[in-house]
Amino acid sequence: MSADPADMGLAAEPAASTISASTDVHNAPERQGRREKAASELSRLVPAGSVLWSEEELRPYESDGLTAMKQTPLLVVLPESVEQVQAIMRWAKHTQTPVVARGAGTGLSGGALPHIDGILLGLAKFNAILELNEKQGFARVQPGVRNLAISDAARPHGLYYAPDPSSQIACTIGGNVAENSGGVHCLKYGLTVHNVLSATVITMDGDLLTLGASGYDNAGYDLLALLNGSEGMLAVVVEVRVKLLPVPPVAKLVMAAFDSVEAAGNAVGDVIAAGIIPAGLELMDNPAIVAAEAFAKCGYPTDAAALLLCELDGIEEEVNTQVEGVSQVFKAANVSSLHIAATEAERLLLWKGRKSAFPAVGRLAPDYYCIDGTIPRKQLSHVLQRMEQMSAEYSLPIANVFHAGDGNLHPLIMFDAGKPGELHRTEELGSRILQLCVEVGGTVTGEHGVGMEKINEMCVQFDANTLTQFHSVKNAFDPDGLLNPGKAVPTLQRCAEFGAMHVHHGEVKFPELERF
Amino acid sequence: MEGTDSSADLIDQVRQAIDAKTPVRIVGGDSKAVLGESCSDENAVDLNTLKHSGIISYDATELVVTVRAGTRLSELNKALNDAGQMMPFEPPEQAGATIGGVLACGLSGPRRPFSGSARDYVLGTRIINGQAQDLSFGGEVMKNVAGYDVSRVQVGAWGTLGVLLDVSMKVLPVPEMDLTLRQQTKQHDLSAFSSIMRQPVPLSGAMLIDDSRYLRLSGSEAAVRAAAASLGGDTLDGNAIWNEVRDHTHSFYTNAYAACANGNKTLWRISVADCQPPLELNGDWLYEWAGGQRWLLTELPAHTVFSVVDAAQGHATRYSASNAKEPSFQPIEGGLQKLQSRLRDSFDPLRLFNRGRYHPELDVPSSPAVTGA
Repeated sequence: MSADPADMGLAAEPAASTISASTDVHNAPERQGRREKAASELSRLVPAGSVLWSEEELRPYESDGLTAMKQTPLLVVLPESVEQVQAIMRWAKHTQTPVVARGAGTGLSGGALPHIDGILLGLAKFNAILELNEKQGFARVQPGVRNLAISDAARPHGLYYAPDPSSQIACTIGGNVAENSGGVHCLKYGLTVHNVLSATVITMDGDLLTLGASGYDNAGYDLLALLNGSEGMLAVVVEVRVKLLPVPPVAKLVMAAFDSVEAAGNAVGDVIAAGIIPAGLELMDNPAIVAAEAFAKCGYPTDAAALLLCELDGIEEEVNTQVEGVSQVFKAANVSSLHIAATEAERLLLWKGRKSAFPAVGRLAPDYYCIDGTIPRKQLSHVLQRMEQMSAEYSLPIANVFHAGDGNLHPLIMFDAGKPGELHRTEELGSRILQLCVEVGGTVTGEHGVGMEKINEMCVQFDANTLTQFHSVKNAFDPDGLLNPGKAVPTLQRCAEFGAMHVHHGEVKFPELERF
Repeated sequence: MEGTDSSADLIDQVRQAIDAKTPVRIVGGDSKAVLGESCSDENAVDLNTLKHSGIISYDATELVVTVRAGTRLSELNKALNDAGQMMPFEPPEQAGATIGGVLACGLSGPRRPFSGSARDYVLGTRIINGQAQDLSFGGEVMKNVAGYDVSRVQVGAWGTLGVLLDVSMKVLPVPEMDLTLRQQTKQHDLSAFSSIMRQPVPLSGAMLIDDSRYLRLSGSEAAVRAAAASLGGDTLDGNAIWNEVRDHTHSFYTNAYAACANGNKTLWRISVADCQPPLELNGDWLYEWAGGQRWLLTELPAHTVFSVVDAAQGHATRYSASNAKEPSFQPIEGGLQKLQSRLRDSFDPLRLFNRGRYHPELDVPSSPAVTGA
């Protein structure tokens, strides 16, 4: 297998941790020497107590939200000023030390997984809202500010920040930019890329640059578009200016139950065809409904095969027209029960069920693994049927929550990591689901990012020339390849090895490369 | 669907240009020839995308259209409109314009501050890079973070990061109703826009022409009527005034282009924060995007315009015929110049695509030189 140390985490079996640990032990004296040298040099650049390097201090940073992959970094540094970040980046460039940036560590794809020879740049101290401009409708915030904290601060002014990933209570805006996070309202209000006005970054050269502009566009290339979703591979974000929108005066939630997932899926297309763009349009299958109801006790019909939550927001006249419109569509689509949240408290409770679907499923099995593919919506019933077959084949149950409006699927595979080999089988099933998403014209990641987790599946989605172009883009920003190395875009060598293991329809991808 | 795929021919032409190291001038409908710098290289060959045209796929319930770059904007708009949908960034429709040209120039219309820009709606692209490779990025789905967002960065890159072949875009339903309000105000009075913009009303246009403020509302009839009552003003039917300003057929622009052709005046597009007070530059002004996009017809030299606009943290672009003595774009400097030049390098290492046409400072290799792997 590859000698890339990050690969050690990928196998993610208990045995793999042993391998990883033994690697550490093997290199222990040499690594400890480098660690002490780096700690001593970095301590001169940041205030006392801002460099962590004992094993106990490093342990909390060994993984992000994808806990199956673990690696302790050389050390952790926690700067508190832009100048300190610049100095750290220049030091890293000078010493050719890899840098992995981290916000709250809620990412689900191992994007903030530390590098064995690198420093972990924790941005938690950058947690100030620098400006809230209600007149011009923006907030200028540091990258460590939590997503929800922005809306909380803006709400007294009648404004809010629209993207609302399910982890919004904890995840930070810097991480949102890195992953181009979505949320349940992105069908109408867009992703992070649509709601960030400008970002100040520090490049691997130590340059402090503002991408985007105070106006609606900037001179030259749209580097801001490239930054969003770049998974910490291009630059470190130190300040973000986000758009604040007026809070819609009215929001109404329509809950529609169906006897089959197909009927619910078709109803979603019918809503769009009727010219209505809901603020949110979420689909859950029966296992997800049952789990969420048991967890949140929010009043979901647990006998339904599928449930749609359809939110309409805006001014009252508009919302009333649209509630009427979607109700008609659902009736025509053979809805089995239709309910409109009567009060604001009920609306929030019904959303709470959806937003807690992940922990709810977590109570049904010792472990769960969340997949994040996007598919063209018309492929939904085909994909669900294929997943049902795969679930049976692997004897691993799957619950589905689905951002139905924009085709983003989150299958939750339930498993028990305590059973030998089950995590490995779960990851294999997850990989097959992602390859199915590509096969029907979708993508291996809608909003969680490639990180370390989906690096092999990237080989399925992109050919060698396209991957090489991605590496060239990375090279323009970071010629030495020091920022988050090994993540997001696989090397061609890696794809050749993966392709050899997963020959598709007898076609060998990357035939020009030598194997192993 | 109809149309022709001539991508193989285009790739072939690019390969020949690379072999001969000949710069390539990318042309669609040639409706924007007046924009940007003129291609300085006399040896440059034209790469015409017009034959690569037609809608590849369009499924209205998916809200996605995939189209070849040489497709006329008028043809695409008609197909979308027939299905009750539209491109929400409301691209300008210069006669003969293609969708590839609109996206390459990153042009958006009156709806931009409210619905987003051209790049916001691009989901995927297929391009020819400067090594004559046929590459696809993004896709036909709304959410996709696999790989860098190369598709969006192509928008507004003027072809210097690759030749657009095919593009997938998100589209949206046409609003049930549009209604225009005209409010009497004073010349250059932008003060009311910021409070109007912060109200939860379905705005889709906001501009100031002379002493008239125009607001457009779009949505369900009930919502539009309610918002119109709260905002006040004379109501005008239809979209005529918005389309004239968008397509530069309004008298402000026709007069401006005539003045540019006859004398030493220049028409500038100025992009600043919408809240910026009127700029101290003499000339005739028209304010779009609630003040975020401004048009200036002036006799002032380019360096004066750039310097005042730079102080206001904006940028200016010449919109009348280029003048060899003065740049057409606000110069990019320092770290941003270095980074953007390297990015150009990563797509087009020989800098053949539209060399000299767009920000010539990006055609200068930056150290350390970076070439495609």
